[in-house]
Amino acid sequence: MRAGSAGEFRRSFGDGLVKYLARRVIRAIFLLIGVSALCFLFTEMAPGSFFDEMRANPQISPETIAGLRAQYGLDQPLAVRYGRWVKSALRADLGYSIAYNTPVAPLLWSRAKNTLLLALTAMILTWIVSVPVGLWAASWRGGWLDRGITVLSSLLIAVPEIVIAIALLASAVRWRLAPVGGMVSTSIESMSEWARLKDLAAHLELPVLILALCESAIIVRHVRASGLEVLNASYVRAARGLGITRVRLLFRHVLPAAANPAISLFGFSLGGLVSGSLLVEVICGWPGLGPLVLDATLSRDLYVVMGGIMFSALFMAGGNLVADILLMLCDPRIRTGGEHAN
Amino acid sequence: MKAIALLSLLVCLHVSVNAAGAPTVTAPAPENPGKNEELDHVAGVTGHYGGSLTIGQRAEPKTLNPVTESDSASREIIGRLNADLIEINRSTQKTEPALAKSWKTSSDGRTFTLQLRKGIHFSDGHPFDADDVVFSFTLYMDEAIDSPQRDLLMIDGKPMTVTKIDQYTVRFTLPQPYAAAERLFDGFPILPKHLLEKQYKEGKFAQTWTLNTPASQIAGLGPFRLKQYVPGQQIVLERNPYYWKADSANHRLPYLDVIVFVSVGSEDAQVMRFEAGETDVISRLNSENYNLLVKEEPRAGSQLADLGPSLEYNFLVFNLNDLSGKKLDAVARKQAWFRDLKFRQAVNAAVDREGIVHLVYGSRGTPLWGNVGPGNKYWVNQSLPHPKRSLETARQLLKSAGFSWNRSAQLIDKTGQTVDFTIVTSSSNAQRMKMATLLQDDLSHLGMQVHVVPLEFRAVIDRVFQSFDYDAAIMGLGGGDADPNPEMNVWMSNGTSHLWNLGEKQPATAWEREIDQLMQQQMVTLDYKKRKQMYDRVQLLIADNLPFIFLATPNILAGADARVGNFKPALLDPYTLWNADELYVRSSGMENAGVR
Amino acid sequence: MRISGKLGMGTRLKAAALAASLLVLHLAILCAGFISPYDPAIQNRDFPYAPPTRLHFNDAAGFHLRPFVYAWTPAGESYQEDLAVAYPVRFFVRGDPYSFLGLFETNLHLFGVDDPQKIFVLGTDAFGRDVFSRVLWGGQISVAAGVVATAVTLLVGTLIGVIAGYFGGWADEALMGTSELFLALPWLYFLLGVRAFLPLHVSPARTFLLLTCVIGLISWARPARIVRGVVLSARTRNYVAAARGFGGSHLYILRRHILPEAFGVLLTQAALLIPRSIAAEAALSFFGLGVSEPAPSWGNMLGELRQYSVLISYGWLLAPAAALFVTSVMYSLLADALHSRLESR
Repeated sequence: MRAGSAGEFRRSFGDGLVKYLARRVIRAIFLLIGVSALCFLFTEMAPGSFFDEMRANPQISPETIAGLRAQYGLDQPLAVRYGRWVKSALRADLGYSIAYNTPVAPLLWSRAKNTLLLALTAMILTWIVSVPVGLWAASWRGGWLDRGITVLSSLLIAVPEIVIAIALLASAVRWRLAPVGGMVSTSIESMSEWARLKDLAAHLELPVLILALCESAIIVRHVRASGLEVLNASYVRAARGLGITRVRLLFRHVLPAAANPAISLFGFSLGGLVSGSLLVEVICGWPGLGPLVLDATLSRDLYVVMGGIMFSALFMAGGNLVADILLMLCDPRIRTGGEHAN
Repeated sequence: MKAIALLSLLVCLHVSVNAAGAPTVTAPAPENPGKNEELDHVAGVTGHYGGSLTIGQRAEPKTLNPVTESDSASREIIGRLNADLIEINRSTQKTEPALAKSWKTSSDGRTFTLQLRKGIHFSDGHPFDADDVVFSFTLYMDEAIDSPQRDLLMIDGKPMTVTKIDQYTVRFTLPQPYAAAERLFDGFPILPKHLLEKQYKEGKFAQTWTLNTPASQIAGLGPFRLKQYVPGQQIVLERNPYYWKADSANHRLPYLDVIVFVSVGSEDAQVMRFEAGETDVISRLNSENYNLLVKEEPRAGSQLADLGPSLEYNFLVFNLNDLSGKKLDAVARKQAWFRDLKFRQAVNAAVDREGIVHLVYGSRGTPLWGNVGPGNKYWVNQSLPHPKRSLETARQLLKSAGFSWNRSAQLIDKTGQTVDFTIVTSSSNAQRMKMATLLQDDLSHLGMQVHVVPLEFRAVIDRVFQSFDYDAAIMGLGGGDADPNPEMNVWMSNGTSHLWNLGEKQPATAWEREIDQLMQQQMVTLDYKKRKQMYDRVQLLIADNLPFIFLATPNILAGADARVGNFKPALLDPYTLWNADELYVRSSGMENAGVR
Repeated sequence: MRISGKLGMGTRLKAAALAASLLVLHLAILCAGFISPYDPAIQNRDFPYAPPTRLHFNDAAGFHLRPFVYAWTPAGESYQEDLAVAYPVRFFVRGDPYSFLGLFETNLHLFGVDDPQKIFVLGTDAFGRDVFSRVLWGGQISVAAGVVATAVTLLVGTLIGVIAGYFGGWADEALMGTSELFLALPWLYFLLGVRAFLPLHVSPARTFLLLTCVIGLISWARPARIVRGVVLSARTRNYVAAARGFGGSHLYILRRHILPEAFGVLLTQAALLIPRSIAAEAALSFFGLGVSEPAPSWGNMLGELRQYSVLISYGWLLAPAAALFVTSVMYSLLADALHSRLESR
């Protein structure tokens, strides 16, 4: 059960690779269609609309609100609105935001860049730390590292992310450890290039830490559990008997075999790059997609929500695709959609 | 061993990254006052030039267009970029000349002739005159644009008209006399015709002055002008070198070079940033955060102000809508209880207002028995009764209304039905949710089964304004202006915010009819004393008939760093920045140095 | 190099200790009415945010075996002990009535102090309600909802993951496509719609059902994918091919060879999902779908902690987080122990 190499992978897959990728692309298209249709439907189900805040204001008349609704096409039936949205989406025009009065796509992209920066940094940190720690804990089972990891990960899983975030922010405020939120200092204009980079890095510290802590807890647990399973296998015991070093054992032999659940999680990590950091972004004031889409969702700014959801759906499909390919790389005998094992 | 090396590397990285550098701030110098400029000299204000302030905003601003804006974060910024014809001084709550240096009212109160200041310019140097005023108001009243401000300019459904008399005189004609009409002009910024006329004529006005508009295309008459927008993070405003106000020593305001508005994301984040010294001014604190800042004193000498009761009022409203034709039988049944005045009086007597002030507002609040609280010193009815809480009185009232208690001490009505209803409230408003929990407990002492249902804000609006599918709700109103006119729609029986009974064609009760008459009258009466008498009677009618059961109002709590000079927080929005043109930054030992 | 893993005497003792502590935890929660001194809904409006009552054993007269407490009196922004009168802690007292497990009414409590004083073991919340009582009572609904919701999630997730992984082909595409759809949708709107559709007041039993179904059904996608990955790998093993060759039915192979491979990840997921489900209830109360006031649950108690000022000033309000943490650790250890038992078989 050795990990295969890329060359082997391609050889054994053959032409099937192109067909496989084509199938995944078709699946992604169906996903987008399904998500967009259901999203429109759900929006209709939810009570209220964008101009409700004005409705509660005694100084604005219902006629004005009706006029605004007509202006933005909110009084049209659902099917008509969906049709128009699909037509313009195919032309890469994702509509206008009611709140900002600007086109949706540039609005989303200006924030998505920030989210990707944060999420990628956190993801790299998470995976670089979690996998070795998980494997180490498995190999030192019952030792102080293992116990400590169990307790720490339990703490991080049990306490809701929001409480962890506020606790860390509170410590940052107390001891002036790091900037408390935001992405850049207000005086960014007057800084040199190098100073700007440092400023950005300083602001990244806290949100990355929060994200990394919460996600590592889960990954470490899974890696440790599957690592334990593999460590008990006979060939591993044989290798130990032959005097292999711990590092070599863990990374060359245990990891590929134990990687299965971790790969699925990796796919989720990748797929959740734009959507997973929503809470942290809101709490830390990081100007990413999270606060924008959350605000738009709560205020029913439909096209921003649609755009955001399409974007994260694409990422998710992509992340799962990568995970599936990695699964096949790791265990060459898996051939999803191909021959069965009979 | 490797772990320790990695850890120390990370620590070094952290320290180097957080080492602060000293940033510099640049802004245009104020233009020297011209000979023909009619500046507004503000008395009693001193300060010196220079410095910048950072303000944290809870939500992101959405637009810079004063005609289409509808959220408070945008309004906060737009207010610093623009100026109005007449302004309400938030400290004194009285009107003051602004872009209009004087005005004459006709004897019937229907015509306002305003004299504009001569020789002043927009922030891009272009001169200001009556054409800009006429253009601005045309935009506000344009039906195709549907500005949320438009309804303020409609009196009894009819629009007001504006005409240019000469280059520096405009005349406003109202369809009928309107009390305190000059207060209307605060909140209608004057827009530059030379920048916006083209897009307006092309019908593309709604897309002008969005956040992405380059700073060169935006100009206003306010103390600051746009310098830069960083999406999702901050908006930087710099001094308007042509601002038309000066201090008594003829130094053109504003003193500040730069104001930065940073979106922080939440109320808690606002407090944290203020505590950490990253922002300089904070307003609308809740009592827990305020007490925290007072206790912690993280920044020595910070100016924290408790300004007393605000103008908002929170209340419990029962659903008294006419539900015929809607399939809401369960609610309709309960309305038999809600419509009984004695029932509402009993609930009113059972509410623990002191408890609400103590537990919800940390004692930084005031109990309310009417819609006008003590914070509104010009309009509050001082002789309104403030009965103490009494469960005994409540029980007597219920008994006399035909209610009784069954064996499990639950309240039952004449038909033997247990009194059981729900209170909905917005889940994003923590204070109102707490009030609901307290009310639930209070009413349980009377044997009522009350369920608290927190709903998302728009779901609440949908039920209260649209579907009427609710029993009772806790909501809040008020806080706009001190004058009663903005509240017309709440108290008029055909008003669109007449929450307890929306869509009435005729007043449903005699007291509502009387309130209608009084409110109409006070709207057209120009004499303050007479209006006060009428409005006092309205307040009494409301307190006696309890369409709303008033609960409490929070105090306005604000704070600023020690180095902010001329910090004068007020009870009216915008609480801390209304005098942004007078704020300055104290540097040690230079307080009375004057000009830079 | 030592790599541990064998089950020995020491480990069996540890497993017994673990089982015992879990039992104690659940018993404590079940007997919430008895162990807690007060009804969780009773508000003491004069004592909001009161810190935990201090237990004393020594006074001027010397050491007492029976602990005693002093009353809290408000002093400025916080509280001070009123040293004038000492209230001994009594055991097996009569107090607020409650229903024991829904079986019978009683008013016997494990401990208490004489009226009108109160003993706040873990302090009070914003309304002066005893946090200790609320944590115990809250545990009833929270742990039950968490376990049931996790069971639902894992059931659905395993089913889907196994079908997708074992049969592959179109089943895999369709089911994994559905899981992606599930993950991408804006559940916020769906939940708002559900709330609008339901009557305003939902009975506690229905609330519980709603909670477990909603939480359970929203989270199946992750476990499904992980299980699918494992199953994909497992079905390629030689012995599976051999079993097929010998005429083993799909069901037999699934039961005998495939599912046991998935136990490891299932147990790990269970240990992760239980605390997550419990905390998810706090998010649901934003929509009005959670446990409503005044009934306590760890989820809605944690909701109070979302405020910065509360978190740093009133540390005792972290009690439900601590309870959740302890529960989470115990279930993790249990999952671990079960895992190693299965491994060693």
